[in-house]
Amino acid sequence: MRLRLVHTTRYKYNKYAIDSQNEVRLMPISDRDQSCLDYRLTIEPSTRIFSYDLPGGRVHHFSLLSPHNFLFLKSEAVVITTRSNPFADLQLDVKDVSFYEDAAKMAPYFDYLAPSQHVPLDPETDRIAHLARKQSGEGTASFLLALTRLLHKVMSYEPGSTRVDTPLRDVLENRRGVCQDFAHLMIAICRRQGIPARYMSGYLYTGSHLKAEDSANTPWKSDESAQLPTEQLIGGDAMHAWVECLLPDGVWRGFDPTNNLMADSHYIKVHHGRDYADVVPIRGVYRGIGEHVMEIAVRVISEPSE
Amino acid sequence: MSLFDGYDCGQFYDEMFQAPGIPRNHYSALYKRLNEFSDEEFRRRCRLADISLMNQGITFAVYGNEKGDEKPWPFDLIPRIIPASEWASIEKGLKQRLTALNLFLNDIYHDQKILKDGVVPYELILGASNYRREMIGAEPPGGVYVHICGSDLVRDGNGEYLVLEDNLRTPSGVSYVLENRLILMRLLPQLFKSLAVRPVDHYTTQLLNNLRALAPINRQDDPVVVLMTPGVHNSAYFEHSFLAQQLGIELVEGRDLFVDDNLVYMKTTRGPKRVDVIYRRLDDDFLDPLVFRKTSLLGTPGLVNACRAGNVSLANYIGTGVADDKATYAYVPQIIRYYLKEDPILKNVETYIGNNPSDLSYMLDNLDKLVVKATDASGGYGMLMGPQSTKVEQMEFAQKLKANPRNYIAQPLIALSRAPSLVDDHFEGRHIDLRPYILCGSDGITIIPGGLTRVALVKDSYVVNSSQGGGSKDTWVLADDLAEEERRHA
Repeated sequence: MRLRLVHTTRYKYNKYAIDSQNEVRLMPISDRDQSCLDYRLTIEPSTRIFSYDLPGGRVHHFSLLSPHNFLFLKSEAVVITTRSNPFADLQLDVKDVSFYEDAAKMAPYFDYLAPSQHVPLDPETDRIAHLARKQSGEGTASFLLALTRLLHKVMSYEPGSTRVDTPLRDVLENRRGVCQDFAHLMIAICRRQGIPARYMSGYLYTGSHLKAEDSANTPWKSDESAQLPTEQLIGGDAMHAWVECLLPDGVWRGFDPTNNLMADSHYIKVHHGRDYADVVPIRGVYRGIGEHVMEIAVRVISEPSE
Repeated sequence: MSLFDGYDCGQFYDEMFQAPGIPRNHYSALYKRLNEFSDEEFRRRCRLADISLMNQGITFAVYGNEKGDEKPWPFDLIPRIIPASEWASIEKGLKQRLTALNLFLNDIYHDQKILKDGVVPYELILGASNYRREMIGAEPPGGVYVHICGSDLVRDGNGEYLVLEDNLRTPSGVSYVLENRLILMRLLPQLFKSLAVRPVDHYTTQLLNNLRALAPINRQDDPVVVLMTPGVHNSAYFEHSFLAQQLGIELVEGRDLFVDDNLVYMKTTRGPKRVDVIYRRLDDDFLDPLVFRKTSLLGTPGLVNACRAGNVSLANYIGTGVADDKATYAYVPQIIRYYLKEDPILKNVETYIGNNPSDLSYMLDNLDKLVVKATDASGGYGMLMGPQSTKVEQMEFAQKLKANPRNYIAQPLIALSRAPSLVDDHFEGRHIDLRPYILCGSDGITIIPGGLTRVALVKDSYVVNSSQGGGSKDTWVLADDLAEEERRHA
């Protein structure tokens, strides 16, 4: 698919802000599943923008030292996504647990197996893993699909029910949260099971999901009986978060427990890391008086391929 | 009546005596001179030294000391002497070690070949609290991460020099090397001249040259170098102000700097002044709240990205702490062989790693015999001296070890060598170590002869850290007459 993305963020400061230093992780990555053809980041008040690459994606940064009462960021991209059928090459019934038990093979993935800031490895999560194992075939991919489905089923999506720093234990106990919490929970479960799992921030194109004429797109639904009407897909009006897991073929594949989907060509990947702390889309420090408010608008549209 | 009457070498390697009453060759002149002093005369000179230290305000602060912030620097008048040949081998060993450690840092922040080849375990590096993922792919000038290193050497019962640890972040103590020397030159001037002691006072010139050379290419002509301190409450603040003054550079805190358009400026009474090189004496964690610890007010927002872009150079570079992690230390011999294809010249102290299950069980079974250290701590904090600990302390440490094995290493207690120290009206043996200061610049590695000899002033104590009741001695490296002649006629 050819997707055009426009993401705007506006901060309004009660009085004013000065000495502001910011990092932005908003540019889509280019990898085997997608190419970012065109990217533009616009900042107002106008300032010079710098950038560099980290393994998780590109970082832009800028400073605004003079007093300002607003900050506006516009991130625009054109991305070609190619993973139209995420089920392709997926081994559902091949017993592959030996891959994850090979310590030498797993060693390089330490970052995605060890606990991280937002993802403690809580033994309580084993209950969910155990249930997902019962519902799945021999393959790890099958387990991950069952897990995605299970989390979607037992967790309720409630905007505002958690904050950035809500501990995973609370999410687990209250069984509610936003996409970030779904992702952190799934990552914790996977890591406890010895499956390397990483946090992916990005966007979900919700415009054409489940269109009848697009029959090639139906198999990625991991639970046919729980298909959602298009307008109920979560993540279309903001940034989204999901999980990537390493499968025995050496490929990272995306699972979205918030929507009970596998990541396909409707997903735009922006930045990955151990958890949210590694991928914070906009991070800044500034000095100022009073509160600020933030408004976000995300629009992803599909364009005809050239 | 001599100050050495009743001096007991004990079961230890004594720096001064090869046998009771028989000094080693390189100590014989000093021994003779000290024997000439009356008790009264020697103590008069000690008092002079104390007064001199107090007058110059040479002090240090001890954390957790409620009596007050500052203590005078305890100085021990009897120099430690190292013969030329011994020093030559130490110097070679230290150069080899720092060369390998810089290659190691460059590797783990880029290709990670040493991890891929299985020489150092991934989890050891990726699990180290001081591994900075934010610096992956960054290019420090010349690929050098550590410009200033302080490695701690000890001598075992046979007199062999062993490396106890490397300090690759913000090693301190060099100001005492320079001050100790000034005091001793005043107190023992004749002896000093007759022994041909190699000078140390070129340290600051060498350091300044190295720092200036780190400036961005287009700023090489007249680079602005500053020393960045966490502030007056830091235990090494005296040294920060001393070095800034010696180097002739500004002493700044984080709030004195700001970043605009990815360039670093210093606030001055005449407006902003671009800064090219920062000799920083605060840890990575506190450098920049935008990237590292968000609550820290000590740093400068935007500094890390400016450094990454090469618009300002930091010495040491960001992320060096992963290589002086005490668990990484255990692998330095392998690191040297891997990058240099050479055997290590200086040996490590045998080390057990908590992360390694068989080592861990050995550690738990032998806590009464081992020295246990937290891998990310320094300054003698957070350690257990097994042989001198109580059963309760050992049990407490066993709990800590089991809870977080990655965070601990253990070493057998080394019977550190001893040297004479003045105790009341006579000399007694006290345990010592040696911290040489190693500078890595664009023209190679240089080490000022000697370094800081630290003394455990408390009887029978092995802990030399100034924060734990240690003092220091001037360290005399003797010139090699033949080599000197050769240099002169080269």
